[in-house]
Amino acid sequence: MIPLDELVLFSGLLFSLGIFGVLTRRNFIMLLISIEIMMNSAILNFIAFAAYSPAGNSLLEVSGQGIAVVLIGLAATEVALGLAIVLALNRIIGSVDVADAMQLKL
Amino acid sequence: MSLDEILFALLAGTSLVTAVLALLAREIVHTIMWIAILFVSLGLIYFLLEAPFLGVLQLAVYAGAVTILLLFAIMVVKKRIFSREAVTGIGVTSVLLTVATALLLAGNALSLPYNAAGRTYPTPILSQSLFLDFGAWVIILGFVVLSALVGAVYLAKESRGRPIRAEGE
Repeated sequence: MIPLDELVLFSGLLFSLGIFGVLTRRNFIMLLISIEIMMNSAILNFIAFAAYSPAGNSLLEVSGQGIAVVLIGLAATEVALGLAIVLALNRIIGSVDVADAMQLKL
Repeated sequence: MSLDEILFALLAGTSLVTAVLALLAREIVHTIMWIAILFVSLGLIYFLLEAPFLGVLQLAVYAGAVTILLLFAIMVVKKRIFSREAVTGIGVTSVLLTVATALLLAGNALSLPYNAAGRTYPTPILSQSLFLDFGAWVIILGFVVLSALVGAVYLAKESRGRPIRAEGE
């Protein structure tokens, strides 16, 4: 079994790379991709801690994996909504640069 | 080092390198290809953690659906697929914030108080837990996905009545 601290270290590095992407890129699609990287590191944390949960409650032992299933569904939903917003933004202001989307009322 | 740890080191290195390459790539199609490799190696890490259901889910949802959805969005949005764009704003602030986050999380990871041995579960226990303990969550997740997709269709629909602004305005 992989040691828990290596897994958590890896997911922390992946999360900070996602933060780097959010801070440096201005394309809306790149922001979505960076957010997906951060979401993936969080899901990896849930699965890693589920593998090291203490024995005891029979069904609640795997609750980390259950939460990970729910999170993967939510992340897919978020990508679908974000891409719909990208399409609407591209139709209304003609660009997917977040610096061009300065006004709330379009 | 066992075989698991060697494989994990290889996959983690691949993931980090592809994430950096994806975030620094100038063409967004290249970014999506790197990100697909990142998703596949994360799914393989889930297999190493004895979570085969989540590994398959990762491969199907992320490496399959999300990647294709992003490619499709780029096809619709960009006039030319291979259009270069600069990586804007790698400044002192962003690098400092990234390093600070990495140090904070790495410090937490290295001071983790755990002494339990790793355990594995058979997949049927996951399905029992998912549909008994998490039954309400799964139903709520279904409704959330449904309403979000209705909203996405509404947002992406061409609205005929409203004027479309010119480019650059």
